Amino acid sequence: MKNLIPYFTLGYPDNETLMKFLKVIPVNKINYLEFGFPSDNPRYDGPVIRETHKIGNKNFRDDLYDEFFSYFHKNGIKMYSLSYYSDIKPRFSEFIDYLQARNFSGIIIPDLIIDYYSEAKDTIDYLNKNGFEYIPFFSPATPDKIITGISELTDSWIYYGLQPSTGIDIPYELDYTTERINSLLPGREITYGFGIKTEEDIKSLMRNGGSGVAIGTYLEKMLEKDDENGFLEYIDKMRGVLDA
Amino acid sequence: MISSINKDIMPENWYNVVPDLPEPLAPPKDSKSEFSSINLLNKILPREILKQEFTFRRYEKIPDEVIEQYKQIGRPTPLIRAKNLEKFLNYNGKIFYKYEGATATGSHKINTAIPQAYYARNEGVNGVTTETGAGQWGSATALAASLYKLPAQIFMVRISFEQKPLRKTVMNLYNGNVVPSPSNLTEYGRRVLKEHPDTPGTLGIGISEAIEYALDHDYRYMVASVMNVALTHQSVIGQEAKKQLELLGEHADVLIGCVGGGSNFGGFTFPFIPDNPDTEIIATTADEVPKFSKGEYKYDLMDTAGVLPEMRMYSLGADFVPPTIYAGGLRYHGASPSLSLLINKGRIKSDEVTQAEVTEALRIFANTQGIIAAPESGHAIATMLKYVKEHKNDKKTIVVNVSGHGLLDMSIFGDKP
Repeated sequence: MKNLIPYFTLGYPDNETLMKFLKVIPVNKINYLEFGFPSDNPRYDGPVIRETHKIGNKNFRDDLYDEFFSYFHKNGIKMYSLSYYSDIKPRFSEFIDYLQARNFSGIIIPDLIIDYYSEAKDTIDYLNKNGFEYIPFFSPATPDKIITGISELTDSWIYYGLQPSTGIDIPYELDYTTERINSLLPGREITYGFGIKTEEDIKSLMRNGGSGVAIGTYLEKMLEKDDENGFLEYIDKMRGVLDA
Repeated sequence: MISSINKDIMPENWYNVVPDLPEPLAPPKDSKSEFSSINLLNKILPREILKQEFTFRRYEKIPDEVIEQYKQIGRPTPLIRAKNLEKFLNYNGKIFYKYEGATATGSHKINTAIPQAYYARNEGVNGVTTETGAGQWGSATALAASLYKLPAQIFMVRISFEQKPLRKTVMNLYNGNVVPSPSNLTEYGRRVLKEHPDTPGTLGIGISEAIEYALDHDYRYMVASVMNVALTHQSVIGQEAKKQLELLGEHADVLIGCVGGGSNFGGFTFPFIPDNPDTEIIATTADEVPKFSKGEYKYDLMDTAGVLPEMRMYSLGADFVPPTIYAGGLRYHGASPSLSLLINKGRIKSDEVTQAEVTEALRIFANTQGIIAAPESGHAIATMLKYVKEHKNDKKTIVVNVSGHGLLDMSIFGDKP
């Protein structure tokens, strides 16, 4: 079964709407959930997700989401945190403890190998030692040796961003992109994200060996419009595309 | 001399250094929170250029039509052993120079102008636009646009426009329309003129004007340097030089080039990086624009108006107004992200030279080799002279990229040639 990974920024667009959507997520149709912990400087995100961080920062309450984390965990949905290292670095171990206490399975850190490359190995070692998954985040700009080197440090799935940032539409060669990552990491579980919009994109990615997709910008727009029906239809449709 | 006598010297592919960098290249960052300046690139660059900017392909096929135009404008350019200079310096090693001044427009700039105009023509746009400092890029843009029958609107930094009137003549001859920047053609230019009527202009202002013009007129913006795609196109220089050295049975111990935005330097040196780990590589800048020693390695704006995305690079600040040095091409406040990363990681060293050192280097080079190099290239030659002095007995093979000729920049010599 291919992985469908919806993304939500905590606190966006407001806690009431967010929780309303979290309540209706069909847990039988998704595999993992990615929660963005609001960042002061989400620099590798596009304008839509940047805005969700800005608003999420104002609304975030760490006492509010625990029942949902617990619910998803009980239903077998693995949860991953999307956090910027620049935000969590000063209290890194404390933050990992916080996530583990809430049954998160791992963490995606988009700026770790870009801005803190010299600290990446120690950080990944720490996560491995604590039984917490580090999800390598790569993009087309990641050099070959970094992709293979970082991937060797963990057994987890890989998050591959197809665009320079979320919700951006820069032309790219899908087939060549998947061919490259497959040849560098043969047999590895690759989930694609950043700028995926169409069903055809998803079909091509899966046909080329992708193990799943993460959807963020598109869903956040539905939350902003409070479009619950559209959200459910979209999840249903994406599930169908992935299973086709 | 090894030049066009060997048809195999010209590469069939451009080389992109991104997959071979020691660390990931930081992605471009939106400069404003309310809209995506990265997405804006879709409107101002030809689609194929944008694809090449963000590609991770190590090699990109050069279209046959572009290869043919490369041949027409004088590629491959010669690699010449500077025996007279070696003798003059009493140097025990070898000095070679790759001479990009031998192209039709007299500099390396045409190497990326041709493919950019080619892809713009293929998209059926109204025309192309760009900024220019010393005028070398403007000349290349005007010629490339003319070859593909596209109108070209060129914003020339005002101080260079005044110092180098012949450049304007050249651009006009190639059917380019040239105005001093800041200009009255754009809202941004008018605003700068109102606030700073005596400004000498900067490349950052010129870029901002060209971007605005492209958006308003369905033109495409031609990328002179800084962005990776320009360095990739310029890799024809380094790939040719590698091949020429190979045919001569030589190995480059030291590579030296000058840096404005980094395109001639990256194009010359990057193809050597994957399989020449011991080759020393030195980037020279103007002492008056000390981006590597006094600049910060940080995200900064490429253009003054902040329309383009921010890039992580060595920068003196997008509002930096450099002194009015003759090497207009070196006045840019930043340097290409890939070059900046390689400098930051210590793979590439940097040097700075003064105008006096440059003038002296140009004189020596002209007197020994007969080539009157561009003031920008004079910086690389000056660093090479310093290097030879400091390594007199090392018997190294030094290769310098002379990125252009200086026949339209003679005022650097004042009244005493």
